[in-house]
Amino acid sequence: MSTKYAVRNIRLCTKDCLCLYVCPTGATDTENSIIDVAKCIGCGDCADACPSGAISLVPTEYPLQQPKTETVISALKTLLRNKAEQEKIATGLPGKLAVAIEKSNRIMAEDLLREAGYMLPQSQNTKQFLQSLLDQKQPESFPKEVVEKLLEIISRNEEDKKMSENKTLANLMEAFAGESQANRKYLAYAKKAEQEGKMNAAKLFRAAADAETLHALKEFEVTGKISSTADNLKDAVAGETHEYQEMYPPFAKEAEAVGNKAALMAFNFAMKAEEVHAKLYQEALENLDQTEEVFYYLCPVCGNIEKFQPEKCSICGVPGGKFIKY
Amino acid sequence: MAKYVCTVCGYIYDEAQGIPEAGIGPGTRWQDLPDDWVCPICGAPKGEFEKQGESIPAVEKKQIPITKISPEMKELSSLEVSALCSNLARGCEKQYQPEAAALFTELADYFKAASAPAQDPDFDQLLACVEKDLEEGLPNANGAASTVKDRGALRALVWNEKVTRILKSLLTRYQKEGDAMFDKTGVYVCTICGFVYIGDKLPEVCPVCKVPNWKFEKVEGR
Repeated sequence: MSTKYAVRNIRLCTKDCLCLYVCPTGATDTENSIIDVAKCIGCGDCADACPSGAISLVPTEYPLQQPKTETVISALKTLLRNKAEQEKIATGLPGKLAVAIEKSNRIMAEDLLREAGYMLPQSQNTKQFLQSLLDQKQPESFPKEVVEKLLEIISRNEEDKKMSENKTLANLMEAFAGESQANRKYLAYAKKAEQEGKMNAAKLFRAAADAETLHALKEFEVTGKISSTADNLKDAVAGETHEYQEMYPPFAKEAEAVGNKAALMAFNFAMKAEEVHAKLYQEALENLDQTEEVFYYLCPVCGNIEKFQPEKCSICGVPGGKFIKY
Repeated sequence: MAKYVCTVCGYIYDEAQGIPEAGIGPGTRWQDLPDDWVCPICGAPKGEFEKQGESIPAVEKKQIPITKISPEMKELSSLEVSALCSNLARGCEKQYQPEAAALFTELADYFKAASAPAQDPDFDQLLACVEKDLEEGLPNANGAASTVKDRGALRALVWNEKVTRILKSLLTRYQKEGDAMFDKTGVYVCTICGFVYIGDKLPEVCPVCKVPNWKFEKVEGR
């Protein structure tokens, strides 16, 4: 979801209409000159192209208000009280000067309130203020529904934002899973192409597999799920443990039940290897500050990992000479 | 020959130049300008000018204790709540949120109507309030804001003080001249800072907050 959207200051607009030419979604071309928020993707091309500086980008989310000290708030409210008093007196008086003074004091009062913590309509202060209006005893004529509606609009904005954020996070995870799968799938296809001697196709599959890795890594990075190495190790322990304790046992059972021996073997190898991985991750976590270099040996058949080159793989029995050193 | 600077808008009266287009010839001394002469840009009276290079002799500043917020101060009056709502309506308008702006305006109108009218209002009460702001409220708030370097609040207070001084001079003139003051001229309010302009030749930008003059609103009487 875009974090900004474009708005047009109609006072400054000189109708050069470059925004219409450059907008990729047609958001700037509207019958009432107000840029269509639903269509705007926040790219900023219109603002860059506008020769009269009439278009600007505003954020969908505003930063927190500047903090205010009690003494300043108190002094501003004392002044505010007197401005309101002047507005009240002027409201009861005739003539142009009285009207001007009434308006002038209202404008000054508003400015003082902005600096006393009520700058942003979507701030916590505003929400508390609106809620306090509902909590206080009010006369019957009080437009309660207006306050409720405002609170709803303010909360709705927050919920919309949260929902879109959640949706985007889900999309990122889905894309990450898809790209990761595509990577392995293309590597498998590449291997097959090599066996068939179709070397150009094999090359393309390997290149594309690398491309999908780039996508997967970028998307995963954007989710913000990459933490410190210590936390990443904890996450890895949890993931591997889940796989060998909860995911693979029923998979293996089901494969056995239907007599799919190849699947059963793949699941069994993976299950046993994941258990080893979980233990190695746990160990690495405990020795995270160790400076002495450690080597790992990977079984290229079942995915088992050892810390010393073994005679033969303890899971699948492949000779130790085949292990790959890391 | 000296120059005199308007402390409200920064206009400079140069004795050597005068203002020939207003019938004030070159070489006209400051003291020879009529007492009711006002700043051609913002309408401030002569008393709001100071000689360039010389600030007004430092007036012994009264030490004003910082006001503690009393419980009744925490409760906003109806009119104050109205101002809070109209302020938030402006905030929504600036963010292009017309629905919320309209709702805040509705609330502001409700609280304005709900505010009890002033008892026997008169212009002397207004002048007394303005003087109270200039003598106490503004120095007090300026002190509080400077202590914690709250530049946002200081900005609001600079505008506020200039506008309040203009209101004081207008009210003082009004006591002498009455409604004749606006016989042939318009009255305008800057919708950003509250500056009040009496005249028909609007300054290009507001002398207080520098907003272009199309943000001024013409005031009609009642």
